[in-house]
Amino acid sequence: MTQNVLARDEVTVAAVDLRGLTKRYGQVTAVDGLDLTIRPGEVVALLGPNGAGKSTTIDMMLGLTTPDRGRAELFGASPAQAVRDGRVGVMLQSGGMLPDLTGAEMVTLQAALYRRSRPVSEALARAGATGFADRLIGGLSGGQQQRIRFATALVTTPDLMVLDEPTTGLDVEARRAFWAAVHEEAGRGRTVVFATHYLDEADAYANRIVLMRAGRIVADGTAAQVKSIVSGRTIKATLPGADPVALAALPGVDEVDVRGDIVLLRCPDSDAALRALLTTTDARDVEVTSRGLEDAFVALTMDGDTSS
Amino acid sequence: MNATYLRMEIRRLIRNRRLLLLSMLLPALVLLIFGSSAKHDTLDGVTGAEYIMASMAVYAAMVAATGSGGTIAVERGLGWNRQLRLTPLTPGRYVLSKVILSLLMAIPPTLVTFLVGALVLGVRLPAGQWLGIGVGAWLSTLPFAALGVALGYLARPDSAQQIGGLVITVLAAIGGLWIPITQMPATMRSIAKFTPTYWAGEIARGPLFHHAVAGRAVGVLVAWAVGLALVAAVRFRADTARA
Repeated sequence: MTQNVLARDEVTVAAVDLRGLTKRYGQVTAVDGLDLTIRPGEVVALLGPNGAGKSTTIDMMLGLTTPDRGRAELFGASPAQAVRDGRVGVMLQSGGMLPDLTGAEMVTLQAALYRRSRPVSEALARAGATGFADRLIGGLSGGQQQRIRFATALVTTPDLMVLDEPTTGLDVEARRAFWAAVHEEAGRGRTVVFATHYLDEADAYANRIVLMRAGRIVADGTAAQVKSIVSGRTIKATLPGADPVALAALPGVDEVDVRGDIVLLRCPDSDAALRALLTTTDARDVEVTSRGLEDAFVALTMDGDTSS
Repeated sequence: MNATYLRMEIRRLIRNRRLLLLSMLLPALVLLIFGSSAKHDTLDGVTGAEYIMASMAVYAAMVAATGSGGTIAVERGLGWNRQLRLTPLTPGRYVLSKVILSLLMAIPPTLVTFLVGALVLGVRLPAGQWLGIGVGAWLSTLPFAALGVALGYLARPDSAQQIGGLVITVLAAIGGLWIPITQMPATMRSIAKFTPTYWAGEIARGPLFHHAVAGRAVGVLVAWAVGLALVAAVRFRADTARA
């Protein structure tokens, strides 16, 4: 029966619908007229520097904070209603667990609060937490606690999973396993929204990136689309005794960074720059790389000031 | 109420023996000291030991019931309430679970005061009176269970335990659990009649004097319980602090 409800919703109703969402704290506008629609099945990364309004947006999305203006809807209902209906599973960055329960007890308790859930042992296994599920949470390492948190989010089989900095404290192996499990959930039609500081994770695992700055969305699209906003490439070469002024004068070069024998050239037109560099200087070991998500992130969230 | 939630809470309680032991030790100790010295006094045919034991049964139950407040404050500090707000558990069912837990917690300390009374102070009563005192003391702790929950939301995690201890000690003193209000000045006597402690004491000591439970006693206790439960439910809704 539940499956039918999910299937019907997928056609008509957005998983997350934020319209003109605004929240002020005194003089500070934390979120400023934000519009965002997320379709069921999307895996969305919410990125932005500290203070960009990610946490406030998530709080309003979950009904923990009331917006000053605008509205937030989950599956066509109020956030509070969606939470009451057990359609939302949340994995907090820290806390949210009772240290004097075992991991298995914590997951059992979480499952009992929801109308539908999957077996506790299955959730623990998928989160890679079976090995230490019988120990008290207070005695677990940060990474182990994070796996228990993930198991509590998985056990409730929510339609929308909201993950706040989910892989903090996990090692590389665990992070990979974590995202594999998240993608399996998304494959079943669940919607995933996560906030992260690891840009490589957003790049690799989200099929949509929403970049926030000063309470607004400054970029929204696939990782490739967001990266393409920042055009150009970086040329890296070995060039002892380089003259920064001469290098900056080369065609196609925007910015020069000399670090010992290494020079870094930021180029809007790397082809022209490369031609000139190899013919007019002794540069060797030349590498050309396109800008990553990090460059886009820095360019879109740091320069200028549109918030005033 | 949620049965699994309550079961997990009871497990936590058993794991954290400190709170349970403390709630049993303190009233037993007070009963030993006051009860021994007043053992042979009588009032309307009731011995001092019997009178103080009934008062201490109330005190024991209320200390235990209010003690849950400290745990709620700590849970708030852990971000557990924020997590709970994101589950289908409603504020009403949450507060009800906590109140039931507080009532359960109040049983062992009440029984310990009875044991001290019977074994050390030589209190001998008909079964009906034991039952009347026990059930009276126990059910009269309902407002204190609600007080504990409300305090758990109003106080900070690091001070909830101390504030709770202070509040119930003051309430116990004003309400005549330490010294009967008949030995207090008139002003204090009128103030006492607004406290839940006074009426809880009256209900628990009633069987000794063959008094029926007064309607006013029930009224005052229910008013306190409902008022404090409302405060708790409102605070639960408002409390979304991040860990």
